[in-house]
Amino acid sequence: MATEGQQSNTSQRLPLELIAECTGSKLWIIMKNDKELVGTLRGFDDYVNMVLEDVTEFENTPEGIRTNQLDQILLNGNNICLLIPGGSGPLGDQ
Amino acid sequence: MSAGAHSKSPSDFLKLVLGRPVIVKLNSGVVYKGILACLDGYMNIAMEQTEEYVNDQLIHKYGDAFIRGNNVLYISTQTSKKKKLLVEFRHHRQ
Amino acid sequence: MSDEGQKNNQDGGMVEEPLDLVRLSLDENIYVKLKGDRELYGKLHAYDQHLNMVLGNVEETVTLREIDEETYEEIVKKEKRKMEMLFVRGDAVILISPPVRI
Repeated sequence: MATEGQQSNTSQRLPLELIAECTGSKLWIIMKNDKELVGTLRGFDDYVNMVLEDVTEFENTPEGIRTNQLDQILLNGNNICLLIPGGSGPLGDQ
Repeated sequence: MSAGAHSKSPSDFLKLVLGRPVIVKLNSGVVYKGILACLDGYMNIAMEQTEEYVNDQLIHKYGDAFIRGNNVLYISTQTSKKKKLLVEFRHHRQ
Repeated sequence: MSDEGQKNNQDGGMVEEPLDLVRLSLDENIYVKLKGDRELYGKLHAYDQHLNMVLGNVEETVTLREIDEETYEEIVKKEKRKMEMLFVRGDAVILISPPVRI
């Protein structure tokens, strides 16, 4: 079922197609560790390594949330946990 | 997959930053600044004139450095913008 | 990879992919930063694509961090020891730096 289902089934939207639709818009990324990022998605590959622009990096520390601003990054897909289209980020809409 | 005028795949990004100053952040939080000499599909990185920063403090300089790709969180273009340090409290998150 | 990424080393070697940097360090003293606050200095005898390595004449430095219970100051202790020959498992490697060539 799973073997031939993936390609012939047109009603199912593949996860990577959802990400492709986010290209050019804001995306909120939650990593496996205590890090989160919000940025504009410019592109990605099959491993979900992503090129992001105007990135805000959020790091949860005992003192609070540390943020860091970056112009353009290539994010390693290896440690990504969740992707949320829209990109309100951990602090809500700013 | 994600074609379009404004899309930029990870390999496009890498062509752009090769030989340029970059910031490489590892999952541990350690940051390396230097010239990106080359890299491979595992995100193994060779850097020149590498500076190692822990908590924004320069702690080491290496002429050349090889960084094993599994430790890499992101590769960023060097930004001239000053880093922001913003402390918010945890109650912003529900 | 493209020409921009290439770099001529003094001994004539070309760095086209990151592992070339390690290849050019064979039989040289290198610095290795490992997970778990460990550092090694030693002569690189062999390596493979995982960055498994055999090092000879090694000095290992282990950094121990403790928080003083009264002052809450961080106490950093460095312990050093020497080994004649050792094997490094590649997945523990964070960074390798070849010697400075003059």
